[in-house]
Amino acid sequence: MRNKGFKKAVALTLLGAMGVGTFSGCSAKTTNTNSSNETKETTGTKVEATSTTETSTEGYKDYSQGFENNVTIQIPVYDRAFEGWNVTNNYWTNWVQSEFGDKYNVTVEYVAIGRSTEVNDYNQMLAAGTAPDIIFHYDMPQAVAYYSQGAMQPIDLEEMKFYAPNYYEMTAEMSNTYGQMDGKTYFFFAERPTAYNWVTLVRKDWMDAVGKEMPTNLEEFNEMLKAWKEAGLGNGGGSLVQNNFTYDYAFRDWPINEEDRTLYSDLSVAALSWEPTKEFLKNMNYQYNNGLIDPEFYLKTEDAQIKADFVAGKTGMYSLYLTSNTDVIDSLKANNPEAEVAILTPEAGVPEGKKPQARAYWPFGMIMGINSTTSAEERAALWMFLDWMMQDNHLFTLQNGIEGQNYTLDSDGLAVKAEGFSGESALSQNNNKDYWCLWSESVQYDNEDLNYKANLANWAPEGYEYLIEDAYKNFKATEEYYTPDALFTVTLEKLAEYKTDLNELWKELYVQCVLCPESEFEATYEKACAEYLDAGYAEILEEKKEQIAAGNYK
Amino acid sequence: MKDAGGVFGGISQASPFVKRKKYLGSNLKWLKRDWQLYVLLLIPLFFVILFKYGAMYGLVISFKDYKIVKGIMGSEWVGLEIFRKVFSNRNFPQALRNTLLLNILDLVVSFPMPIILALLLNEIKNKYFKKVTQTLLYLPHFLSWIIIGAIAYQLFSLNNGIVNEFIANMGGERIPFLQEDTRWLISYIVIGVWQTMGWGTILYLAAITAVNPELYEAATVDGAGRWKQCIHVTLPCIKPTIITLLIMNLGKVMGGSFERVHSLMNVATTEYTTTIPVLVYKWGIQDIKYSESAALGLFQSVIGLILVLVADRVAKRLGENGLL
Repeated sequence: MRNKGFKKAVALTLLGAMGVGTFSGCSAKTTNTNSSNETKETTGTKVEATSTTETSTEGYKDYSQGFENNVTIQIPVYDRAFEGWNVTNNYWTNWVQSEFGDKYNVTVEYVAIGRSTEVNDYNQMLAAGTAPDIIFHYDMPQAVAYYSQGAMQPIDLEEMKFYAPNYYEMTAEMSNTYGQMDGKTYFFFAERPTAYNWVTLVRKDWMDAVGKEMPTNLEEFNEMLKAWKEAGLGNGGGSLVQNNFTYDYAFRDWPINEEDRTLYSDLSVAALSWEPTKEFLKNMNYQYNNGLIDPEFYLKTEDAQIKADFVAGKTGMYSLYLTSNTDVIDSLKANNPEAEVAILTPEAGVPEGKKPQARAYWPFGMIMGINSTTSAEERAALWMFLDWMMQDNHLFTLQNGIEGQNYTLDSDGLAVKAEGFSGESALSQNNNKDYWCLWSESVQYDNEDLNYKANLANWAPEGYEYLIEDAYKNFKATEEYYTPDALFTVTLEKLAEYKTDLNELWKELYVQCVLCPESEFEATYEKACAEYLDAGYAEILEEKKEQIAAGNYK
Repeated sequence: MKDAGGVFGGISQASPFVKRKKYLGSNLKWLKRDWQLYVLLLIPLFFVILFKYGAMYGLVISFKDYKIVKGIMGSEWVGLEIFRKVFSNRNFPQALRNTLLLNILDLVVSFPMPIILALLLNEIKNKYFKKVTQTLLYLPHFLSWIIIGAIAYQLFSLNNGIVNEFIANMGGERIPFLQEDTRWLISYIVIGVWQTMGWGTILYLAAITAVNPELYEAATVDGAGRWKQCIHVTLPCIKPTIITLLIMNLGKVMGGSFERVHSLMNVATTEYTTTIPVLVYKWGIQDIKYSESAALGLFQSVIGLILVLVADRVAKRLGENGLL
């Protein structure tokens, strides 16, 4: 009896649970409907409000004396999980609030965006309606993806000019050239001054040990790797090529075929069926089969693994963004006291007869759009904030800290960091970059010399200034061979549809092409191409061709 | 069904009203006595309502062209369009095959292991040794798959794995445990057994403790040795537990662990690594195709539910208690 009673009780409770579950579903539904209606309504009124202001004053309302009612703007900031650093509440966010916010009756709220989870974070916040007023991303395809979800509102550049003349001057041209989608302006950009600290470190002592000079082409480079292997030193390393497809520049023809470049050259999807990719894979297949590279390169997906192999002396090369505070050289020396490093020349990866081409960045850094739910007042406050930072010395202060504490100015006017400064105005581990990336990608001075000196100080570890000097020389020597990808001014729907899937398939197929015996390369490659084209790449090419014919690209 | 028949049979015999009142009365008394337990029950119940039933509302996006900014209600209804897209995706047939293959293999190999292990542990007479063994056996359960995956590659990878270094140093040929399709499959199953078998024994050991000692005494009198006791007493006594767990495991045949495949896969060995949970992850998390991902998840759950119901029926036909 009791057992039955128990069973019944459980059944009843479960039934109840299901009922409540259903109801909770209903209530969630209703709230959701309400909230989405609300957003729509408010956006509607907001748009009206803008238009009334525009018509009533035949221009824009002046807020230079501050806002009547407090306005809150939300600024995104990357959270890189620096130890002991509160990204949304620290000396510098408070500095922005007291110097700018309090002056104009604006509350500046920082919203943390996980650096490695940013797309997810943004999507969740967009779904919940809590995304910050600026929606940003470093790569154009993803920025366009946000746009195609309807996350952004069109930008009135005249309005920006009115509230933020300095910022307008910096970004307007880029915005006009690259920021248009389907005929309207949606994006504005931060500056990207030239950088040349992406370098490949190579073991100079290994080269000396086998009596090789710095290679001047791919053939010599492979000879060098062979000599390393025969001398039992180690291999050339390697890692899984994924996500950013810049691998085949050295194998492209020069001068570039404009049509091919527009069609195939794309950071976000690999051009497996394009001739340069074939050449790249063929070389890698040769390297793999002759033991010149890490035989398990495809397992190396994290920088930490690749770095560990280099530091341990298993591999002789390692690529990184060199910065003054990197620990890679010290760690290498600790394991191999005789180790010496040099910068691998760009020519080393280039087959005889080709040019050391590389991908040029688009001339902008951070790509930004305004959240579709941001109101006219908030937008004005946002423009004013962006402009305020460019006035006086605000940006310089955010980049360098407080003079006399964080740094001292030398006779040239260069900010020299106080070693080991840890006062309350200490900058974040990457020198507050995530707070000033809305304006620029690196600290800039008025003249080239000073910039170069600043770069040396920021990028070269102490005692290794020659690395950045060499990198600069290499950059200058090959600068003419840098080309940016074509930028389409419409949403490429097929690209968005197939991109992720193709990126997964690329990993599988290209690894197959590399791992197969040299004699089977042609057949494997043919098969891989067919599968890749079939999986959606052919449709992407078709779509691109149509847009190229329509002239929708820059 | 048997139970329900009993209750209603009782009611129809006498005056239903009186009988029912009495029944309710006794039920309430029982509630009064154990109300603390029911309050405690509310906590997991709340969890289930919020995270299992509440979340079901989101399933509607598998019938909609879900756009984040438009929200769930604001997105457009598209009928079965999403399902059509999912079933015609080039990865779908492979994922279906692999999911079934991996999980059925897992069921065949991994399911009996805890039973055998529990029977063996039960025979150990030295309490101290038994406890230590048991603890060591179920420790792997507490390791995350990400860590197990990393350890697996440290141990078994072709060129750097410790095991292969050892084999090579002994003059043997290196074995691609994780870098060749068939071997990967075997490693996947074996590592799974290692991770889950200890933990699985807990339920069986508990069931074994509940076996009436008199049965063993009677068996001993009849001249049964330990082996015979094990086969004819212990095993039949824990059969209901085995059947219940088997039915529950059948529900997972279309699903399975995403983390396990994801942490053990590599791009050179992809024949068996595209499974339904992996696709759900790729579409939903990496590719933000929420509608497709939800549709695939729903498909998987529905098949799982059907399998459980069918298995339950079959079990009852065979005279077992079943699950529901």
